[in-house]
Amino acid sequence: MRTFLLNISSPDGKLFSGEAVMITLRGIEGDLAVMAGHIPFITSVVPCEVKITLPDGTEKVGHADGGLLTVAADGVTLLGSFHW
Amino acid sequence: MGANIKALKTRIRSVDSTLHLTRAMGLVASSKIRRANEAMNGGKQYAAAFGSVVDLLTACPECAHSPYMKEPEGERTCLIVIAGDRGLAGGYNANVFRLVAELPHDRIVPIGKRACDRYKGEFFSSEVFNGAQATDMARKLCAAYVAGEFDKLGIVSTKYVSMMTQEAMVTWVLPLERTEQAEKVAAVFEPDEESILNTAVPDYVAGILMRCVRESFASEVAARRMAMDSAGKNAQSMIDNLQLQYNRARQGAITQEITEIVAGAGE
Repeated sequence: MRTFLLNISSPDGKLFSGEAVMITLRGIEGDLAVMAGHIPFITSVVPCEVKITLPDGTEKVGHADGGLLTVAADGVTLLGSFHW
Repeated sequence: MGANIKALKTRIRSVDSTLHLTRAMGLVASSKIRRANEAMNGGKQYAAAFGSVVDLLTACPECAHSPYMKEPEGERTCLIVIAGDRGLAGGYNANVFRLVAELPHDRIVPIGKRACDRYKGEFFSSEVFNGAQATDMARKLCAAYVAGEFDKLGIVSTKYVSMMTQEAMVTWVLPLERTEQAEKVAAVFEPDEESILNTAVPDYVAGILMRCVRESFASEVAARRMAMDSAGKNAQSMIDNLQLQYNRARQGAITQEITEIVAGAGE
């Protein structure tokens, strides 16, 4: 399973940094999921539940209270108020 | 002579207790420094990551009409002033207030007990200020900015240069400055650049605010440690001086007594 580097930061500090298989959240135009190899992409995140699938198959669930999702060639970054 | 000795002794004791106090406060500050520095670096990282995306967006011509990028119509300035919760940190609070006095300010949002007391605002502690409070404050201020309540938003905080040096500074946050980007970014924006920018700005401001609060707090503890260090040194040299005077006075008294006894015996 291909993975990508995922970083999640909130104003309180870095909350997650590591490899992930998939991240699912709600963008301003609807639900979306990002996997490895996604095209560069920037969108606003609306308050939603964020699901992260880790390489070992486990799922981590957090809550975003708005923010910004950036998909770049070197990884995916979620910035905004976020808590597990 | 006896009264003088007693007075000196009391003074030595009082300066000694001050020395203990400054030492304890210095130790407390030292223990907080590491955590404050870590928090500061976390805040810097977040603000830098957000800043690079916002720079990317402000460079897009599509964003020129965003309310956050319009030329200010007037000079009404809103300042967020970050000072400490406590005093006894050298010139830390005073430097911040002096800078505020030099800047135009029509509205002040204080953070930190000292600033809240001075500018009469809602109380926020600068030590335990958290992301949720920052986001809440940033959203309110951004809404007020878009509604046209003020034309410029700045943050007055303290820059942490090193353990020894901290300086008061102002960061202008709104309106956003247009950055020049040489190449166009090949990324998909959903829905479009301007909407993303408009929704991202409050979080961006929250990030900068949080960075400034964290940096100010790190500066505060560093300043307090320095201040307590030098206060401790001063107290020690004062004790040394007093001790010398005390010994002289004591010796003087003994000499006088001996002279009196000898004089009495010689009669």
